[in-house]
Amino acid sequence: MTSMPSNVATRPRKSIDGWRWVGRLFLALMLFYTAVPMIWMLITSIKSGFAAMQFPPQWWPNEPTLASYYKLLDPTSSVGNDFLRFFWNSLFVSVSTTILAVIVAVPAAYAFSRFDFPGRKFLFFTVLLRNMFPAVIFLVPLFILMRLLGLVNTHGSLVLTYLTFGLPLAIWLLKGFYDNIPHQLEQAARIDGASRFQAFILIVMPLSAPGIIATAIYSFIGAWNEYIFAYTFLNKNDQLTLPIGIQRFFSENTTDFPGLMAASFMMSVPVVVLFLLLQRYFVRALTEGAVKH
Amino acid sequence: MAHVVLRNLVKTYGPHTAVNNVSLTVNDGEFVALVGPSGCGKTTTLNLVAGLIPITSGDISIGDRVVNDVDPKNRDIAMVFQNYALYPQKTVYKNLAFPLQMRRLPRDEIDRKVKEAARVLDMTHLLERKPRELSGGQQQRVALGRALVRDPAVFLMDEPLSNLDAKLRVQMRSEIKRFHQDLEATIIYVTHDQLEAVTMADKMAVMNGGFLQQYDSPAQVFNHPVNMFVASFIGSPAMSLIPLEASSANGRTVLTGEEGWSIELSPHNARKVERSTTKKVVLGARHSTIKLSTSPVPGAIPAKAYTVEPTGDITFVQALLSGAVVNISVPPTMPVAPDQPIWLEFDQERMHLFDGATEMALEAD
Ligand SMILES: Nc1ncnc2c1ncn2[C@@H]1O[C@H](COP(=O)(O)OP(=O)(O)OP(=O)(O)O)[C@@H](O)[C@H]1O
Ligand SMILES: [Mg+2]
Repeated sequence: MTSMPSNVATRPRKSIDGWRWVGRLFLALMLFYTAVPMIWMLITSIKSGFAAMQFPPQWWPNEPTLASYYKLLDPTSSVGNDFLRFFWNSLFVSVSTTILAVIVAVPAAYAFSRFDFPGRKFLFFTVLLRNMFPAVIFLVPLFILMRLLGLVNTHGSLVLTYLTFGLPLAIWLLKGFYDNIPHQLEQAARIDGASRFQAFILIVMPLSAPGIIATAIYSFIGAWNEYIFAYTFLNKNDQLTLPIGIQRFFSENTTDFPGLMAASFMMSVPVVVLFLLLQRYFVRALTEGAVKH
Repeated sequence: MAHVVLRNLVKTYGPHTAVNNVSLTVNDGEFVALVGPSGCGKTTTLNLVAGLIPITSGDISIGDRVVNDVDPKNRDIAMVFQNYALYPQKTVYKNLAFPLQMRRLPRDEIDRKVKEAARVLDMTHLLERKPRELSGGQQQRVALGRALVRDPAVFLMDEPLSNLDAKLRVQMRSEIKRFHQDLEATIIYVTHDQLEAVTMADKMAVMNGGFLQQYDSPAQVFNHPVNMFVASFIGSPAMSLIPLEASSANGRTVLTGEEGWSIELSPHNARKVERSTTKKVVLGARHSTIKLSTSPVPGAIPAKAYTVEPTGDITFVQALLSGAVVNISVPPTMPVAPDQPIWLEFDQERMHLFDGATEMALEAD
């Protein structure tokens, strides 16, 4: 009487375990696939220029050196001077984009979620419409627009462009968040003595914090990594953002691989730090709404 | 404290009318229970009074002030929501303190009031928990507590006890009732539970399909339902409603059932039937007003027991008459078995008569 049910109970568990191992293997392969180039980037960045060109490659440099990093971070050298300027340019553009994206997306998403205004469906559709076309299609039209606005060769042109691309998804993501927050919470707050605005700030905003953080990270990374538009809109050397800057000054000099790798590594630092700090919220944002609570 | 007046209140959602021309007055300090089937507009009515949704037409006054365009926070009301609506990111303590903070009370007074409410609701040990760490019943008590910490003009409660177990519900019922008496609070209380309505409320408002059906004391609603809906909705088991055919000859009025049996009406009841707009009259009788015999009685209606449900101190017998299910209660000592022939007598004093076409109660004068 006892043996049969236990048999029934263990068999499905075994097959679930089997799948779990397949899943782990798959994840391990993916990790390998994404991690190896990064590790190679790091290793190359601490080689000397000569060691980096050797074949067969040195798996681990005979004489590891941080010379490339010193060079890049030294404001007195011309390379370091450029690199730091590009870095600040990128930071400025990305942070501006992020702040503006949050400032615009939060109320827009809230309005789409809560208010029933005429043309709401149509407007929301047009917000998403942008995402149905590849970004490059907008390159020329946006360039012409920026020229009309007198924004070519300014960081403003990039911020505006990145918002065009980042906002639709940000609004869409945040709207999902607000849809999942019961109306009754705001209603309760309004009865408890809050104005509509206070109910939003005191009750809804904290609840949507994971969504806002996810939106911010998404906007930041989008702006930080963007290449084509930055390449098209900016010409003056002192305005370049990191992706263009790195590409440009290393192809001008003979290819300095350790320097290039060190610069690439430092470029990925802000993104990695952001992720590590806010990962908790980011994961919650992406899984929120999966389970009804 | 204040009185609340609804005048011709209407709320439509597109083509659908959720609240239809409702007028009622809740006097200062009165406890009014709003009852009705699911979807009849109870929550919508409460939300209109709270100002959470805009009125389509009509007026609401709280105290002597028309509040149609007043913001919820300025209406001086507290509300318990059907689904609690606790702030998930705040602890129980902060949930209770929030309405007081919004009213800028001093910190020590907030602390005192919160602890007092927690004590009354027996949740002092829960104050540091988040809502998701509470059971449904505990969440409900917090929701109630958040309304009770304040001293508003009107309390609105949307099924505040629906998720408590039977014991806690009885306890909270007396708690709310005492609270009502101590504070002389004006309370509008939505409930599915008739027993709650009958035991707690000064008045009952019965709604159906967005319309207010009857607004009266629980006893009046129970004893003098204005129409067939109220008659069948209030009381458990429901009042039996038997469709019959009325006829008069030689100054005698009789009601005849499908099976051919008939009852002669008392002169008082005969006068009621005269007012009917059709020959079709519906006889309403509560289970306790029908006399059941297991042997033939002159003038009694012959029937057959259909089901027999012993509940302990009362046994319910069901029979079919004129196509309607008739509920009769008998002492558990009476030997009745399914399919056994039985004889039924209706109490002329306590029977209800309804117009078969309008479904309204027939009155003698
Ligand atoms: N926002 C809305 N949009 C459209 N229809 C609505 C909306 N809110 C309520 N209704 C409709 O109005 C009617 C009344 O709803 P209401 O919530 O007041 O019912 P209720 O009496 O509280 O029911 P229950 O006992 O199930 O809580 C229902 O038919 C409902 O479908
Ligand atoms: Mg309801």
